[in-house]
Amino acid sequence: MNLPLSAEALRRRCDPAQFDFATTAELADLEAALGQQRALGAIEFGVGMRREGYNLFAMGPEGIGRRTVVRRHLEAQAKTLPAPSDWCYVFNFRTPHKPRALQLPSGKAPAFRASMERLVEDLRAAVPAAFETDEYRNRRQQIEAEFGERQERVLQDFGERARAQRIALIRTPTGFGFGPMSGDEVMEPEVFRKLPAAERERLEALVAALQKELEGVLHDLPKWRRESMQKLRELNREVTRAAVNSTLEEVRAEYRTLPQVQDYLAEVQEDMLENAEAFRQAKEGEPATLFGIPLAHGDASEATLRRYAVNVLIEHAGAAGAPIVFEDNPGHDALLGRIEHLSQMGALVTDFTLIKAGALHRANGGYLVLDAVKLLGQPFAWDALKRALRSREIRTQSLGQALSLISTVSLEPEPIPLEVKVVLVGQRLLYYLLHAYDPEFAALFKVAVDFEEDMPRGRENDLLYARVIGAFARKESLRPLERAAVARVIEQGARDAGDAGKLSVSMQALADLLREADYWAAKAGRAVIAAHDVQRATDAQVERLDRIRQRLLENVLRGSHLIDTAGRRSGQVNGLAMAQLGGFAFGMPQRITARVRLGSGGVVDIERESELGGPIHSKGVLILSGYLSGRYAPARPLSLSASLVFEQNYGGVEGDSASSAELYALLSSLAEAPVRQSLAVTGSVNQHGDVQAIGGVNEKIEGFFDLCKARGLAGGQGVLIPRANVQHLMLRDDVVAAVAQGKFAIHAVSTVDEGIELLTGVPAEEIHARVEARLSEFAERARAYATGVGGKPWQKAKKK
Amino acid sequence: MAEGEEEVRIARIIACFAPGSAGAPEAVARLAEEMQAELLGLFIEDVELLRFAALPFAAEVGFPSAVRRSVDLAGLERQMRTQAAGLRQALAVALDPTAVSWSFRVARASPENAVEAALAEGYAPALIIPPRGDPRAERRVLRRPELSEEALRALLRAVQPVLILPE
Repeated sequence: MNLPLSAEALRRRCDPAQFDFATTAELADLEAALGQQRALGAIEFGVGMRREGYNLFAMGPEGIGRRTVVRRHLEAQAKTLPAPSDWCYVFNFRTPHKPRALQLPSGKAPAFRASMERLVEDLRAAVPAAFETDEYRNRRQQIEAEFGERQERVLQDFGERARAQRIALIRTPTGFGFGPMSGDEVMEPEVFRKLPAAERERLEALVAALQKELEGVLHDLPKWRRESMQKLRELNREVTRAAVNSTLEEVRAEYRTLPQVQDYLAEVQEDMLENAEAFRQAKEGEPATLFGIPLAHGDASEATLRRYAVNVLIEHAGAAGAPIVFEDNPGHDALLGRIEHLSQMGALVTDFTLIKAGALHRANGGYLVLDAVKLLGQPFAWDALKRALRSREIRTQSLGQALSLISTVSLEPEPIPLEVKVVLVGQRLLYYLLHAYDPEFAALFKVAVDFEEDMPRGRENDLLYARVIGAFARKESLRPLERAAVARVIEQGARDAGDAGKLSVSMQALADLLREADYWAAKAGRAVIAAHDVQRATDAQVERLDRIRQRLLENVLRGSHLIDTAGRRSGQVNGLAMAQLGGFAFGMPQRITARVRLGSGGVVDIERESELGGPIHSKGVLILSGYLSGRYAPARPLSLSASLVFEQNYGGVEGDSASSAELYALLSSLAEAPVRQSLAVTGSVNQHGDVQAIGGVNEKIEGFFDLCKARGLAGGQGVLIPRANVQHLMLRDDVVAAVAQGKFAIHAVSTVDEGIELLTGVPAEEIHARVEARLSEFAERARAYATGVGGKPWQKAKKK
Repeated sequence: MAEGEEEVRIARIIACFAPGSAGAPEAVARLAEEMQAELLGLFIEDVELLRFAALPFAAEVGFPSAVRRSVDLAGLERQMRTQAAGLRQALAVALDPTAVSWSFRVARASPENAVEAALAEGYAPALIIPPRGDPRAERRVLRRPELSEEALRALLRAVQPVLILPE
């Protein structure tokens, strides 16, 4: 005979007496990750493994402290590493659209930027001063005068030669002309016309010859001008060089150990000589701004001088150790950096100073922690991250460029070498999906950090749990917990784990419970958190979320939803369903009915036929069909048509936890053995009639208990659960109390036979015998129909 | 500022303009306003140039383009009229709102004669700004008797303004 479980078996208590502290204030802090040895080992390995592709994927459900554990480990490791280099972008004098990346020792970049700013400022003063010396002015005048005199001399000589031939050289508004002379003046036209034709022709020919000759002379003028300009440029370079060299020397000396910077400074020097004019133009006031944003290139000289600016992309001044970056919004640009633009006269312009660092830049030389879901949710961010990890360099480009969507001229900054360890934090499902569907994932994220959701319960672990509770309370400035409160928290941990032998390691749930218990303790004016406060917190959590459960219960109590909790009925069993809404799980009884008749359709799952049943539920029904065939009709066709339904279920059903209840309903219907409606059933069944474990056993029991309690506990009510679920029982105190008082019962069953006996009060053998007899009768009648004997009874009746 | 200039107040500025030379009417106007001197804008239509342009085969070689092209008297006169009107307008815009007394004249003569005639009107001391001159450049100072025709021709070709002091 199957006896109900004792009250002690329904909730594994945590005995406060096992603790030798009064409150958690006495406990030493414990920051270790409880029950995460496997994950910790993986993190240690992944962080220490400095090889390509050994990035980490920290997987597990939300709230178990993956980020905290990862952060703690990374911080410890980062301290042992040197701070990485600083990186700057500077102008590329050879290929302006490809800004050059400069690597400087950690923390040096701001000083380099300041040095370059100072250099430009100094030259703004030094170059104009050099051009204002008497030496420069005199030499310049000399060059200009030389050209003017040379030009004038040539024209004067030419004029004199023409005059010697009685031809005047006339300066016209746009050049020079020649006219025959009369006395010292140009000949009057009338006089010219009166000259003999031969003389006129001679003069015209003479003028034409002189014009041709002058053309030749004037052809040389631009060349002389160029020569003069060249001399002037040489002079300017000479003067600028002196000013630039003396000023630049200090900067060179400062960075003499950095060849890359020396190369850059050499190019700066050359460019400054070419563009000395920019330093000579006075800086007039502050640069123009629009809404506070400087309008770049507003002035040509400012634009030129901007080329000597240093864009400090990333600097680590004052940093101790390697960086750890948590990027909360891992979009494409947030990872790789971006190139900003300024609007200028309706056009978007940019330059190397507008290149901004991304998370990869900030984490370079250290660690980057990303949320996998957020990363995958950002367009092209995942591809960009993989590309960077594979190529081991950060190539900053806009999404438009990366996808070849825009073809306007933009910047192509020199890629920066990348040395980073990426930690993705995500759900397990995501890890397995990526592993299955992304061939690059396995090569880039070789280290799986699999976080446990629970840990074994026991004296030792209970104490560790207590220390974690104490440490958290201290860190969050909560009241200390009495040891009874700690015991209550531990019991709730087991309940959250859904297993009496385990403790949930969901730090989020624990933190919420402790904070809320502290709130209730404060409200009660207590200096410490008592067990009562913990209970109040859990009750309040449920109360805030159980509106739907209450409405469902109300429907049953008012008779809208038909559930019997007393009496007997054939082919009708109380199944138990569980719903999870908004993080709150609760169970509710569900009437399951079966009808049987002669036929060959097997068992019809009405839920499936009406497309309200999920595949696992359908599988459960098919299994119980297998049980029926194997148990009662191994050597003959099953001449049965049965239908199964979850009554008043309009929202769909999934899972196989009701398959034993469905089988009991079928057997009851076939055997015509009424089922006790004071019992509810949960458990799946296999083809051999073994009852198997299901999930949510506590919630399901409590769901039926609440209904029975509302109608009044009569003593004969209870729930049949799979024996394998006994270890998971962590029932509410009121359920346990009712069981202790004999008002409610929990029966653990291992087989369908045990269950059917409890439900019908009829021995299983008899049930089987009745079922067999019924099925034989069906088979007989089916055969008779098939062979015509009694196959058409209405025809026989006619003959009679 | 030229030596000794502080001691004299310039009575008149003679700003010379020549065909084809843009001149600097605004700069000249500002100078007149600063000095509170009367301004005479003198646009000189060089007779030699007009005579040359009237020749049947008149042609010029462009400077510095060295391109040869014919010259047409009517076109030249039209160009001079337009230029003179533009200069007059520029001076009017700059000086009408001020208290500076100013006038503008077109003289068809040789540059020396035109300036000489203007100087003969009195208003000494006068500041002559040559057609291609820079009003702000360092000035030369001459006394009236030193101003021969040859010297005046040379001055009008230079860039520096010349302050002509009376005897």
